Amino acid sequence: MSELTLFILRFGFLALMWVFVFAIVFALRSDLFGHYTRKNDRAGGDITLNPDAKSSPFMPPAETTAAKVPARMLVITAGAREGLEIPLEGEQLTIGRSAQSGLVIRDEYTSTNHARLQLWNGDWVIQDLGSTNGTFVNNQRVSVPTPVPLNTPVSIGSTIFELRS
Amino acid sequence: MSLLNNSTPATITEQLMLRLKVPTKLRNLEATLIVFAMAVTSAALALVDLGATGQLNPPIIGLSLGLGVIVLAMHVAQRFVARDADPLILPIVTLLNGLGIAMIHRLDLSAGLSGWQANASRQMVWTAIATVVAIVVIVVVRNHRVLQRYRYVWMLTGVVLLVLPLVPFIGVTINGARLWVNLGFVSFQPGEIAKIALALFFAGYLVTARDSLSVMGKKAFGVRWPRTKDLGPILVVWAVAMLVLIFQRDLGTSLLYFGLFLVLMYVATGRAIWFVVGGGLFGLGALIASQFLTYVHGRFAAWLDSFNQVNYEAVGGSYQLVQGLFGFASGGIIGTGLGAGHPGIVPLAESDYIMASLGEELGLVGVFAILALYLLFIARGIRIGVNGSDDFGRLLAIGLTFVIALQVFIVVGGVTRVIPVTGLTTPFLAAGGSSLVANWIIVALLLRLSDTVRHQREEVTGQ
Repeated sequence: MSELTLFILRFGFLALMWVFVFAIVFALRSDLFGHYTRKNDRAGGDITLNPDAKSSPFMPPAETTAAKVPARMLVITAGAREGLEIPLEGEQLTIGRSAQSGLVIRDEYTSTNHARLQLWNGDWVIQDLGSTNGTFVNNQRVSVPTPVPLNTPVSIGSTIFELRS
Repeated sequence: MSLLNNSTPATITEQLMLRLKVPTKLRNLEATLIVFAMAVTSAALALVDLGATGQLNPPIIGLSLGLGVIVLAMHVAQRFVARDADPLILPIVTLLNGLGIAMIHRLDLSAGLSGWQANASRQMVWTAIATVVAIVVIVVVRNHRVLQRYRYVWMLTGVVLLVLPLVPFIGVTINGARLWVNLGFVSFQPGEIAKIALALFFAGYLVTARDSLSVMGKKAFGVRWPRTKDLGPILVVWAVAMLVLIFQRDLGTSLLYFGLFLVLMYVATGRAIWFVVGGGLFGLGALIASQFLTYVHGRFAAWLDSFNQVNYEAVGGSYQLVQGLFGFASGGIIGTGLGAGHPGIVPLAESDYIMASLGEELGLVGVFAILALYLLFIARGIRIGVNGSDDFGRLLAIGLTFVIALQVFIVVGGVTRVIPVTGLTTPFLAAGGSSLVANWIIVALLLRLSDTVRHQREEVTGQ
């Protein structure tokens, strides 16, 4: 085998190794280069609103004949994103560290799927999804789905929010 | 089903989570990439033969087919017991293992070894054993949280394995380091297995201890120091690392254990002060050791002043390091080509100095490709840790990943004269049975973690 053929084969082998590396990179490209819900990953906790996950088609529509007017706004009163106001549009909002949550809270004390706010007969009800550090309504740990009155502090990890009309 | 929204999954991690929608897609991706890795390995073996002997010889068929069969067995096992495991880890490890075998085969050719005398044949047998162990781990360990229960058993196992080489009659000293155990029919390095036991123990221990460890202490010199009573565990691990350094004469292993503990402390508590305290303690210990232990002193001198004639000619001096550097230098950017260099000149070229051999024949471009493979492996491991749904799983994934990462850093850093040379093996590449078995167990545990993470998600969200 001639020197030139061997040289080309060797060069081709180096190229092949890099093709393999880039095949792997291509397979996880969106993981490496980010996704819009992960854009503002920062130290010290982060909160993102995930518009896709807010409402679920599997949930039955809320009773529209309810006399009470449900809260329309979730306001974060303490935590990394203090002051953020989130309109409550769908019938439910999931909260957790997972990127698929409606409200993504990233801090040490939040579980992957932490809690769920659900519209139930015109009331917003919060349900803890088996989180490690718990969900607190008015400083009471929630063990069963609990209605959240307006202007009452709800704390998840180091974040506290209230519902406003 | 509330959390499975209708939007298209954007990242691979999210795709992995949507198991119900894509039951076999991940495994098919894995199979494709494994075949690709096998093709690259076969090409490497063929080029080694062409470069060194000018013709293709029968042994390379056995080597490439053997690796293929072994890895595909692992892949099939995953189809049954870990269908949602990460699809990229196994192909990366396959290629690293395959490149290692190709390089060891190349060194066999230059040393004139063949048949069962050849290191490559033994490496292949060890790969088979390691993969079987990995399959057993992935089949037996169905839920990683069970491992947390036995954290003190892991501690005991780790410590026993660490001191085993010091036991008279079965402990053997090779190249100045007392790390081997010889049972007559087989000799192995128990420290390699100990690192997994210790990673399991550290993760299990820190899950329960993290709260007390992250309590703030008094403020002094502008930094909040941890409370004195919390320093206990770090001092114990430091003492163990120092004992390893003094009695087994192995700087690399002691650095690995201690570094692993510091990383997990930091991940568990989020307080960088542990790095400062621990790094300071280790630096102090290493400095004192370098003054009083001739072995460590020699290693430091060979590192700082490698090209000095005195160090170069000293027993255990810088001869090997300098030859390795010459190898890298003669490789240049694209290398001499597989089979065309002289990597056999460096002592232990097939184990400790395999990076120098690869650097000589594949050049900077090839070495960077190998480092990129390690980087991708480590990135996957950390991703599994970040995505974990329980604290033990998270810490364990990070810990196991860092065992590999620290080894790569310590070995490549040593060979390229960034840090003093130590006696660790390059994961997956270097010839050595104990190291292969240990690293394949780490692979199995990471695959298991990446699989259970998604099962737990379903338990929580799949209503």
